[in-house]
Amino acid sequence: MKNWASLLGMAALLAGCGTPNSKVEPVGPLGTSAPAASSGSQADPLGAKPEPAMPAPFVPPAPIVYSAGGFLNVWLLERHALPVVAVNLVVTRGAASDPEGKGGLAKATAGMLDEGAGKRGSLDIARDIDLLGATLSTNAYADYSLVSLHSLKKNLPAAMAIFSDVVMHPTFPEKEWARTHALLLADLKAAEKDPEDVSEVVALRTLFGAKHPYGHPNDGTVQSASRFTLDDAKRFYSEAWRPDHGTLVVVGDITRAELDAMLATSLREWKPPHSQSPLQLAPLPDPVSKRRIVLVDRADAPQTVITLLRPGIRADEPDAALLGRANIPLGGSFTSRLNQDLREERGLTYGAKSRVTFARSRGMVAAEAAVFVDKTGEALRAMLSDVSDYAKSGPTEEEIVRSKLAARSDLVESFESVRTAAARLSRNAGVGLPVGYDGWVARARDKATGADLARVSSAYFDPKDAIIVIVGPKAKVLPQLEGLGAVEVVKAE
Amino acid sequence: MNYGKVLAFFGVLIATRSAKADVAIPYRAVMLDNGMKVILHEDHATPTVVVNVSYKVGSRFEVAKRTGFAHLFEHLMFMGTRRAPTKKFDAWMEGAGGWNNAWTSEDRTDYFDVAPPTALPLLMWLEADRLRDLGPLMTPEKLEAQRAVVRNERRQTSENQPYGKVELRLPELLYPEGHPYHHPVIGSHEDLESATVVDVKDFFDTYYDPANASLVIAGDFNPEEALKSARSMFGTIPSRHRAKDPGAPGFSDTKTTLKTVVRETMEDDVELPKIVMAWQSPKHLSDEDAVLDLVADVAAAGKASRLYKSLVYEKKIAQSVSASQQSGTLGSRFVIDVIARPGVSLDVLEKEIDRELEALRTKPVSADELARAVNFVETSFVTRLESVRERASILNMYEAEVGDPGFAGKDLERYRRATAESLRSAVASYLLPGSRVVVRVVPKKGAK
Repeated sequence: MKNWASLLGMAALLAGCGTPNSKVEPVGPLGTSAPAASSGSQADPLGAKPEPAMPAPFVPPAPIVYSAGGFLNVWLLERHALPVVAVNLVVTRGAASDPEGKGGLAKATAGMLDEGAGKRGSLDIARDIDLLGATLSTNAYADYSLVSLHSLKKNLPAAMAIFSDVVMHPTFPEKEWARTHALLLADLKAAEKDPEDVSEVVALRTLFGAKHPYGHPNDGTVQSASRFTLDDAKRFYSEAWRPDHGTLVVVGDITRAELDAMLATSLREWKPPHSQSPLQLAPLPDPVSKRRIVLVDRADAPQTVITLLRPGIRADEPDAALLGRANIPLGGSFTSRLNQDLREERGLTYGAKSRVTFARSRGMVAAEAAVFVDKTGEALRAMLSDVSDYAKSGPTEEEIVRSKLAARSDLVESFESVRTAAARLSRNAGVGLPVGYDGWVARARDKATGADLARVSSAYFDPKDAIIVIVGPKAKVLPQLEGLGAVEVVKAE
Repeated sequence: MNYGKVLAFFGVLIATRSAKADVAIPYRAVMLDNGMKVILHEDHATPTVVVNVSYKVGSRFEVAKRTGFAHLFEHLMFMGTRRAPTKKFDAWMEGAGGWNNAWTSEDRTDYFDVAPPTALPLLMWLEADRLRDLGPLMTPEKLEAQRAVVRNERRQTSENQPYGKVELRLPELLYPEGHPYHHPVIGSHEDLESATVVDVKDFFDTYYDPANASLVIAGDFNPEEALKSARSMFGTIPSRHRAKDPGAPGFSDTKTTLKTVVRETMEDDVELPKIVMAWQSPKHLSDEDAVLDLVADVAAAGKASRLYKSLVYEKKIAQSVSASQQSGTLGSRFVIDVIARPGVSLDVLEKEIDRELEALRTKPVSADELARAVNFVETSFVTRLESVRERASILNMYEAEVGDPGFAGKDLERYRRATAESLRSAVASYLLPGSRVVVRVVPKKGAK
């Protein structure tokens, strides 16, 4: 991306950021009165603490759905406030479809689509898109791959012509593969020095198993990426990137008539190749969770990165909506138990959080914090105890209300800009959820009771069998782990 | 090559550029009697309300031996008062469906709250309360708690990140001692350790004054009611004094203090070597600041940019390139970062970067390159209007920088005025080969 952040001033330090995310000091539920204000009851210019009413429920807008040309499924959400449009083409095949041992192929394939398409070479595509002031990017997640376009309305027809070529007619030039593959290998090598990246590689491998489709990062590793070739990428493209796997997600200042006029000469013509078999989606085996403590040595690291993880949920299970809400009081907001305990009470970290991943097959539940090296043992024990308490008793009354409101706010924000809305809808399409999914989620989260949240918390957060991944200096960390169980010292790869 | 297509697009763009994008953010501004400006931006498209409070204080206002204090203070602003005791600020806000964050730069400290419309009175109450009362109620316990958090923040965001130590060292190399930008915003561990409760109270007294702050309320709310609340909650906070901006006496943003090439090599736990070049450059919102933004885009934004095309795409000697004009109130810095491909020496990289800079210095960029950079800026100006939070932040940014929240149109005009010759001239005047910092990061010895 371009260096536009400078507009907002010089290298701002984002303090407290990225920790949407403690031990809770229970406070009164919405509607109870504040503690006494400043001494002397008369004439506090601020008055009593305002007690906000419950906001109106938020119902996310639902896109219209139709089929363009018989093959391509279209989700269109009109939004006319500003002259901008986001267009994503999503195919329901991603890193989980990487051939065994070739982790990273789906993402490398997506990366080749704008390295030559139709009559344009790699630099032509970049120049033409830049000239339109548009952005075009490609990506692959575990369950899906996508091409994303963002453009001013006035330049959309020209940008869509390039976008269609990128989706339908990529040319996979040999020399661009050689270049991008070499860059990928060097990036993956460099990532071995990044503690968070190392933690992710080891976490996925330990939880799912090295051979499981979800057992590797979307980028792959140095080893797995060394094994795939341009021919593999071409094959993956022809088997995965087909209109019958695809959904075109369009959000912004465009009507159906305008969109159809654009599609008539482009993506409508996209037909599934008859000669090749589509990549099948097989049901994936469930990971077996069993307590293991895995340590990766980073000899001089100034912090230890701790992750607890265990199997999560399938995106299409009704409880998935509830689990997202149940995670908020545990580690999904600043006042969450994990962040309050590790950061505000104990001062061990800049932030602790937990998250629930959203996957077509089994997702995962993870709790994470980067902590003072000499406090690794204390931090880990605190995390285990906070998570365990929450799994046992579920949310408090106050947390029940707070999580309802936070879940509402998350959805409001997801649908605020055309790009975020397109990303959200693309995720839904990518993991195979129906078009009205977020409307259903909003209602399900809204009406969930404390008992519902306690039930999913108990089912998904209990850390008894959690895998513990620790990246930090072994010599200083190991003695702090005594009494927690056997520690396996492993390498990132 | 597909040159015809490119020209055709260019023609279309020239034609459409006359229909200029509207980038204005409608607002109404009111000055309260105590000198605090209130800026109201009403928009009911999303059921959200944002409160943004900006204080004119950042790391450049810090005194000797107290580096990092403005940012540490930002953390302390969440530590509670009589009305909202420790932890309640966040608990009550989140309890009403809201969330908040804050950031500190060299020049400013900015606090923002995002919540459902029903929570607006609470957001204002919490912000007014801490502006009114926080300083005198500071305790050693509150200070200790946030000191530990900030020291971990320094580790997590810089020390334990590959190449992260450059960000900490660069200001010291780029600006001389005595210059307000000489130290990094996050400060040193030693100074963070030395900060006392008395420092906190003095800092609050000096800078957290209504006359030193501006308040933006944006989104789905009733402006009449909000203004009434602002008058009663914020307008009744007495101003002690308007804080003095010490500026940078003796320094000029258009005249670098660097007389030579300042070189430093640091070892880090990284895989690939990296070279960072930095210059002092003209201040935020000056015409040349916009021109250098465009230079940064031409140099390193996208595959077709000069440095990417030459170093990454064609010569295959670099892994990644970036360039940015990092704008500040008293002056900016222009920074180029290039990571080497495995086995390529930094000497080679430096020579090639210099060759590209020399080209930018001597020959104007093509019309096509300029159009790409300007069009990207225009799209960004429109796109940033999508989020209420961002609009609130932009209004307060312009208010703090130029005292005019509605400066967006004039800001964008700076980019539209730029010419190929102005880009060349800015590179020749400011990106001087003999007055810059060159930092090299090399893998630690003994590391593989």
